[in-house]
Amino acid sequence: MSAEAYSIRTEQLTKRFGHFTAVDHIDVSVAKGEVFGFLGANGAGKTTAIRMLCGLLQPTSGHGYVAGFDVLKESAKIRTRIGYMSQKFSLYPDLTVSENLKLYGRLYGLDGKDLRARMEEMAAFLGLKDLLPRLTSSLPWGWQQRLSLACANLHRPEILFLDEPTGSVDPVSRRNFWDLIHRLSGQGTTIFITSHYMDEVEYCHRLSIMIDGRIAAMGSPRDLKREHGSASIHELFLKLMEHQPLMEHGPRPEQKPV
Amino acid sequence: MMSRSRLLTIARKELRHIFRDWQTLVVVLVMPVMMMFLYGYALNADAKDIPCLIEDPSPSPETRAIASKIDASSLFSVEGSVFTADDPAELFRLYQVRVIFRFPPDFARDLHRPGGAHVQALIDGSDPNMGAIIRNAADPILLGATLDVVGMRQPHVLDVRTLILYNPEQRSALFFVPGLMAVILLMISALLTSVAIAREKELGTMGQLLVSPLRPLEIIVGKILPYLLLAAVDGFLVLAVGRLAFGVHIAGNPWFLAACSLVYIFTALSIGLLISTIAKRQQHAMFMALGATMMPTVILSGFIFPVLSMPLPLRILSHIIPATYFLEIVRGIILKGVGFAELWKPLAALAGEGLLLTAIAIRKFKVKL
Repeated sequence: MSAEAYSIRTEQLTKRFGHFTAVDHIDVSVAKGEVFGFLGANGAGKTTAIRMLCGLLQPTSGHGYVAGFDVLKESAKIRTRIGYMSQKFSLYPDLTVSENLKLYGRLYGLDGKDLRARMEEMAAFLGLKDLLPRLTSSLPWGWQQRLSLACANLHRPEILFLDEPTGSVDPVSRRNFWDLIHRLSGQGTTIFITSHYMDEVEYCHRLSIMIDGRIAAMGSPRDLKREHGSASIHELFLKLMEHQPLMEHGPRPEQKPV
Repeated sequence: MMSRSRLLTIARKELRHIFRDWQTLVVVLVMPVMMMFLYGYALNADAKDIPCLIEDPSPSPETRAIASKIDASSLFSVEGSVFTADDPAELFRLYQVRVIFRFPPDFARDLHRPGGAHVQALIDGSDPNMGAIIRNAADPILLGATLDVVGMRQPHVLDVRTLILYNPEQRSALFFVPGLMAVILLMISALLTSVAIAREKELGTMGQLLVSPLRPLEIIVGKILPYLLLAAVDGFLVLAVGRLAFGVHIAGNPWFLAACSLVYIFTALSIGLLISTIAKRQQHAMFMALGATMMPTVILSGFIFPVLSMPLPLRILSHIIPATYFLEIVRGIILKGVGFAELWKPLAALAGEGLLLTAIAIRKFKVKL
């Protein structure tokens, strides 16, 4: 299949740090508009994989295509077409909500009327309108998370990378957040999301489970559960972790249990 | 290629951070002025009215006249006269004096004899600088006073005429203003810049900027620009306070001074940048900037201790520090009024160092990605 049919496609993508293989020959394909869950324990290689896809890290071998561009050679083009939101909600606490939005809008080349229109649209979409003049540091976590999403999405990226976006957010905010994710996906945005909350990943269209740098399972939540005879993704995840022959590669230095 | 709009976006954001944080503003605007006045008065080496005591076991018109002449000098102030100073430690404590001049019992008689008279100056050496000042001044003052009293003139054999150029009144302000300029510009450029970049790493916003279309060079230059501006403002501030409060006038070309200061700021910024590629947190950056740049600058640049009197290893070290060259340049322009022809060597050293450090810092910054 051609690279263009998918938003994200990797072929044997690998990253080694010295003798340590963080990402080990992974093949992942994500269709346009899909909500794709990228799961794994801490230290399984998720963040390394995302950093390669965003063009922040050079792969050791293999290929990766994001929005039809090669991560090896065209990272500058990729960066204008993706949005990125990390677990740390990387906002400036001493700027107001609207200043944060303007800043990220301008970095993506928006200005003047365009910028104002997008800001209004995004503020209405995420219910941030009344908060625009507030200092970001004064917002509760859930709202900071929304603002973070607004900043990452202001330039209407084709693909949104969300790296553990729901960490340290209360369950109600998390539920609302997933509603927003699905509305964005409905508008055609591809969502690539990592999480270690196994209950919420059931909302994904498809997901992969990464263990020790490799993809141990991939498919829709329903297919995966049926295939492995598990009642939930949580159960499936634990089962895969147990079956993983750890001796094969030796103990992984960064690995921590979920 | 750099995009001007993205560059300005980052620079404007950085200015907002600075203006919203009153602590940074205090550091930038109030501290330099405070340091000027602190150094201006604390570094004042012009000693006067040093308290002294006279031991005079057999008072005579001669000893009284000499004592009053000592008192009349601007350097000493006679606190009192005692008959005996057998326990000088007790007297130093009791009278809080720095020196005791001890006349022997037969001073007046000896004065008119061929062998001459003796006076002992007992100096409190706990403050070496003060001790040295007293030691150097005691002999000429006492000799002058004594000759006057006995109605003699100093034999005329040799007359050394000293003429001090560049800072004829030997005012310490002319000395510390260039030094403070070097320290303050370094603080703004190296310390604040490295802390500002480390802050982005700590917040996680650096990662956010790096996945945007921004190029690493745009991030660096955009973040540095406001600090360059602040450093320039502080440069003017130091010179203005120096002129208004301490009467320091620039003998040379002020535009040449400004140009040289920019080269120094550039070099200092490159140090800040280098620190920020190593430091992951604001605190690390701050301690590195203080330990690796501020301290050596104050101690080794010749700001306080002259480079010429340092042992060789320290002298070599002092020639690695950008401030050493900058001090040479600033003192040259402010005091001597010299220009490029005389100062191109330190200027070239400064610029070369800046280019080298910037190249290393940018390389390191890119590798980190």
